[in-house]
Amino acid sequence: MSERTGSKDLFEEKIKGLKTEDLEKALQVFREKLNNEYSAYLNSCVHCGLCADSCHYYLSLKDVQSLPAYKLSLATDVFKKYFSFVGKKFPGWIGSKKLDHERVREWVDSIFGRCTLCGRCSLNCSMGINIHSIIRVARSALAAVGLVPPGLQSTVDTAIEKGNNMGIPKEDWVETVEWLEEELQEEVGDESARLPLDEKGSRLFYTVNPREPMFFPLSIVAAGKIFYAAKESWTFSSDNYDVTNYGLYSGDDQAAGTMSERLILSMKKLGCKTLVLAECGHGFNSNRWEAPEWLSKEYDFEVKSILEVVADYIQQGRIKLDPSLNPEPITLHDPCNLVRLGGIVEEQRIILKHAAARFIEMTPNREKNYCCGGGGGQLAMTRFSQRRLEAGKIKADQIRKTGAKIVATPCHNCIDQIMELNKHYKLGIQVKTVCEIAADALVLNKNKK
Amino acid sequence: MLLSLKIGVVLSFVFAVLSLSILVIRTFAFGKRIFHSESRKEGKRGIVYAFGRGMLPWEKESAAKHLPTYFGGILYHTGIFAALVYLFWRVFSLNLPAPLMLIFRIVMVVGFLSGIALLLKRAALPVMRKISCPDDFAANVLVSLFVTGAFVETLYEPFVPFFYSMAIVMFLYMPLGKIRHCFFFFYTRVLFGYSYGRRGVMPPPRKQKA
Repeated sequence: MSERTGSKDLFEEKIKGLKTEDLEKALQVFREKLNNEYSAYLNSCVHCGLCADSCHYYLSLKDVQSLPAYKLSLATDVFKKYFSFVGKKFPGWIGSKKLDHERVREWVDSIFGRCTLCGRCSLNCSMGINIHSIIRVARSALAAVGLVPPGLQSTVDTAIEKGNNMGIPKEDWVETVEWLEEELQEEVGDESARLPLDEKGSRLFYTVNPREPMFFPLSIVAAGKIFYAAKESWTFSSDNYDVTNYGLYSGDDQAAGTMSERLILSMKKLGCKTLVLAECGHGFNSNRWEAPEWLSKEYDFEVKSILEVVADYIQQGRIKLDPSLNPEPITLHDPCNLVRLGGIVEEQRIILKHAAARFIEMTPNREKNYCCGGGGGQLAMTRFSQRRLEAGKIKADQIRKTGAKIVATPCHNCIDQIMELNKHYKLGIQVKTVCEIAADALVLNKNKK
Repeated sequence: MLLSLKIGVVLSFVFAVLSLSILVIRTFAFGKRIFHSESRKEGKRGIVYAFGRGMLPWEKESAAKHLPTYFGGILYHTGIFAALVYLFWRVFSLNLPAPLMLIFRIVMVVGFLSGIALLLKRAALPVMRKISCPDDFAANVLVSLFVTGAFVETLYEPFVPFFYSMAIVMFLYMPLGKIRHCFFFFYTRVLFGYSYGRRGVMPPPRKQKA
């Protein structure tokens, strides 16, 4: 859907056209998403402003609208107006505000347009408020009245309608896997090497980001090569293989739950034991941590990142890596959803330390790392593209300081954003997934057949 | 009159506790969050971190980059705590030993000065003004007056009606405005520590290579 027609901004027209019942519905959804935890957060901000420097938007843009405490206040002010005694009776005193057109406009601009839901401000909050959780609640309220910016909404819609966010037809996916299987066989010198599809009873059910078959097919070959070397029992599904879940970013829990449930159904149909998530930050956070909450059920199977699996292979001696095969200096960008919000912190380091001759950490790193600016659905929301690139300056500077020629990052949103930053800030780097680097360092006994 | 004020202090304190309890009930009225995802590590380790190492400036960038504000905040709150302990002593007509009294005086006066510094920072910086509301200023002024009252009273006993009056106003205001964070601080830090703890993000290893 185009966001602009001539001089008219259709999205802005949509905001203007909101009726009282729409605003009431947004408020109702906002209320429904609250629980004891979120309500405590909404009562707790002391406006100390110490979160300012933790946000890459604020550091780059230096405007108050980008300050995490300000973004949080957009939600707390509404909460106080409708759910607190003083906020109802003396709104000016504690700054409570009605949810009206003006506030909705501000919500869209800041809550969608100035936040990647990276959680860095939450980690730095003096009070311990999970600010990004509240921002997502506000996104849910906007989603309920159709105010998710078009690019992000269409990504969700495509995934729901077609089964994957790129709208890849099943036959194209199957053909791609078959073609890539030949590539794998050639690379490992073994005609029996497989990229298995729908293989019942496999131990691992492996998912991919649909951008891989479309634009980065070599990352699929890389994963296949590692599984081959480890003699793993694994499979893709021909139906549901999309690890991404843009419902996390749009705030639409129902759509998000539907997407995650499809993976589970396909996995169970094939009788696999472990759901293995490809290198995708938000896909990991969605399917490992959030999906059981969206679906209100505990899983009776394991959910793992491919990084956990590969790090285990290395530690168990199932694969051997030769770091001299990756002689260039490599640095690592930690995706927020995988690391700060996902808990996968050391696995990628274990892999890179075995796979690269020279591995250089960024500063800061791990859970303290800066967001690259590509999360939160920002890459899909073209109306905020310029801001996204400006906010990425912090990451560009961080990369430049390492002097590395290759940036490894286990997330395709991060890859896309860093590739754009590479062009915009002339960094002169290559961007790769961690598995691609590991696959390049694999020591194989070739020519088996 | 003094007895009436003492009773007033006790009643306003009870009011504050009851009102904060109602706030807690209202918080849970939104529904208790139940986690369905399997924990990676124990949540309680995250809670311990959130109240310990996780508060230190070398663990938290927001503190490291704003050391004057960080230490100002700590000293301010220590002063408030000392004034509250002293209030308890006075209301129940207990006597503090002289060396302890000296420590209390120092802590309270440093706390007061820190509070004023934070107030001035809020008033002076445009960004801080933009994120502040009248309640932010009022809460600071009110609590600073309470700490002042406690400090002056330790030196000049006739000041006790002012000290008790400020305590009453502060307790009555506590559940209505920002001062309610005296309760929510502990609650949100627990929630924060638990949520990051169960995901295995906190506590981070003690020694991380740069």
